[in-house]
Amino acid sequence: MTLDQLPENKTGIIKQINDKNLAIQLLAMGFILGGEVKIERIAPLKDPILITSGTNYISIRKSDAKNIDINPDL
Amino acid sequence: MPTISSKNKPKNIVLIGNPNTGKSTLFNSLTGLNQKIGNFPGVTVDKKTGSFNYKGTKINVVDLPGTYSLAPNSEDERVAKNYIENTNKDDLIIVVVDATNLKRNLLLFSQIIDLDKQVLLVLNMMDLLQKNKQEINFDKLSKSLNCPIIPINAILNKGINQLKEAVYNYKENKNSFLINNSSKTIDETMLRINKINKIVDDVFTENGKNKSYLLTKKIDNIVTHKVYGYLIFFGILLFIFQAIFSWASYPMDLIDNGFSLLCDYVSTLLPEGIANDLIVNGILAGLGGIVIFVPQIAILFAFITILEDTGYMSRVSFLMDRILRQFGLNGKSVIPLLSSTACAIPAIMGARTIANYKERLITIMVAPLISCSARIPVYTILIALIVSEDESYGIFNLQGLLVMGLYLLGFVTALLSAWVMKLIIKSKEKSTFTLEMPVYRAPRWKNVGFEILSKVKVFLFDAGKIIIAISIILWVLSSYAPGNKFEEINEKYSNSSLDKSETNVLIASDKLEASYAGIIGKTIEPAIEPLGFDWKIGISLVTSFAAREVFVGTMATLYSVGDADNTLSIREKMMAATNHKTGEKIYTKATTFSLLIFYVFAMQCMATLAIVYRETNSIKWPVIQVVYMGALAYLSSLLVYSIFS
Repeated sequence: MTLDQLPENKTGIIKQINDKNLAIQLLAMGFILGGEVKIERIAPLKDPILITSGTNYISIRKSDAKNIDINPDL
Repeated sequence: MPTISSKNKPKNIVLIGNPNTGKSTLFNSLTGLNQKIGNFPGVTVDKKTGSFNYKGTKINVVDLPGTYSLAPNSEDERVAKNYIENTNKDDLIIVVVDATNLKRNLLLFSQIIDLDKQVLLVLNMMDLLQKNKQEINFDKLSKSLNCPIIPINAILNKGINQLKEAVYNYKENKNSFLINNSSKTIDETMLRINKINKIVDDVFTENGKNKSYLLTKKIDNIVTHKVYGYLIFFGILLFIFQAIFSWASYPMDLIDNGFSLLCDYVSTLLPEGIANDLIVNGILAGLGGIVIFVPQIAILFAFITILEDTGYMSRVSFLMDRILRQFGLNGKSVIPLLSSTACAIPAIMGARTIANYKERLITIMVAPLISCSARIPVYTILIALIVSEDESYGIFNLQGLLVMGLYLLGFVTALLSAWVMKLIIKSKEKSTFTLEMPVYRAPRWKNVGFEILSKVKVFLFDAGKIIIAISIILWVLSSYAPGNKFEEINEKYSNSSLDKSETNVLIASDKLEASYAGIIGKTIEPAIEPLGFDWKIGISLVTSFAAREVFVGTMATLYSVGDADNTLSIREKMMAATNHKTGEKIYTKATTFSLLIFYVFAMQCMATLAIVYRETNSIKWPVIQVVYMGALAYLSSLLVYSIFS
């Protein structure tokens, strides 16, 4: 499953990021492999989305979220 | 007792850290007013430098743009990386980190340590740490990282002296963080992060919920709401424009009156003659024309700084990204587009945070279409010619409505032009919108003050130089004529039967027409006649190319040549102006609207063009900008003039 498919207020664990530049950027912003990620809010026009990991809190476009493989928490 | 001695060699320190760590606040605390903003060689990212003295040693400080890591993603971050890599061996790097988010912030620290640099770690936001009931074991952290640590609170000015002392006493220290350097960046970064997490888990204790973070999410539920979010944003915009036009009018009236008193005083002080005329009608008239904008510019920059400082601007970017993307722009374009209402120059420089080249370029290309503060006086004076102050439409003041309409026109045209450029400019580069949502906090008033001060300074001195130079050139051009034309005019009226003051007015206007400025205006008159403009407007269009605000100064200089006693305001003089051919009033509805539209669209700012040239590193883009905006201005004015006349 990829991050863009996760519904609002749900969490998952980041497995892999399939875009090198995006990966380096996200790691430095506190979204690490094996770390938890939560969909905090989806923008009124369905894109972009706000995601959190711990107290790290960023916005990201769905096209980038598609490149993030996750294991959803049930 | 410390003594001031010259044998102490100056030290250099460099501030670096993640965005939103309070680095700029620390920089302001360290250097006070002893700072200046320059540019890094080759790029136009602000380079803030300053200095302070401690125990007789001068310490130079450089503040780098915020960056998350040494793997750069934008122009800003590239600058920080290159600067750090090229620092001297004995330069001290101060890594500023948010004490409440050590795990993320220490990645940058670890990368700098491994560049074999001298590093001092500063933990900022200690007040938030206490508020969030978090604790850090400093001694243990310092030992694990093998680096001195200074906890500070930059906003409350706490720990600043300890930091200065630590800089002063810094002993060289051999250090490294990660010995096993993997060849793959992602793997290496993960190794670093894992090591950092282990260290931090050992020294960091949490005794409750992180309150500021929870509050931030509550605020975001409202601020990014699908209805309230947009309502709040437009409400804030409305409030800002209201403030710019109503609050600023009081100090502006004061400045206006002050300048006319000063002009009167100076003209009585100096003996009549060329010097008096040059100073009063050339320099002071031009100077008054710029100082009067200071209140509006200060208010506008205050609001923009506050919106950014509180963290609200990131949310607006989030709300607007999807919409702006349709037009080839980015959510991050919101900040440049909004700051364009103040001035296109900082706006265009602000576009550097947009990582995608095409989106950044389009933002730069359309930003000058948004009405900037330099257009305010042009709009104000022209609108006053066609609508009186107390006319209203319903509850709205008609003048205010018209100004609002002109702003909207500029904004809509900017979006449409962006959309056209999106179709024309080709790019395969991926577009992203990865932006941190910082925790909300009260604006740091000191930062707001510094920001206003530095922006007003740039405006007064950089723009002021151009305006004064133009005022003087214009005065010379309008006070002299080729050959002995002026003598001929004097002779022509020497036997006039009219009384003396009427004769003087006729002499002055004939002289202006014969002067060099008159010749220039007459030369371009055929080209602008279809727009309803005469040769005097022609002169101001030429001088406005230096900067739009010159329009008012030019009008003042051109029309005061005929009014030796300085009794009438510029508005009254323009109202009374008549066409030299037909004798009809010049500022009719058609001409005034046409001129207004021309100023909405035309690219009349040399300083902006210079910035566009530097930012895009090519002469192509500023040239295209002049041509497309000029064509837009000419055609729209032509259309408007033919509709109204």
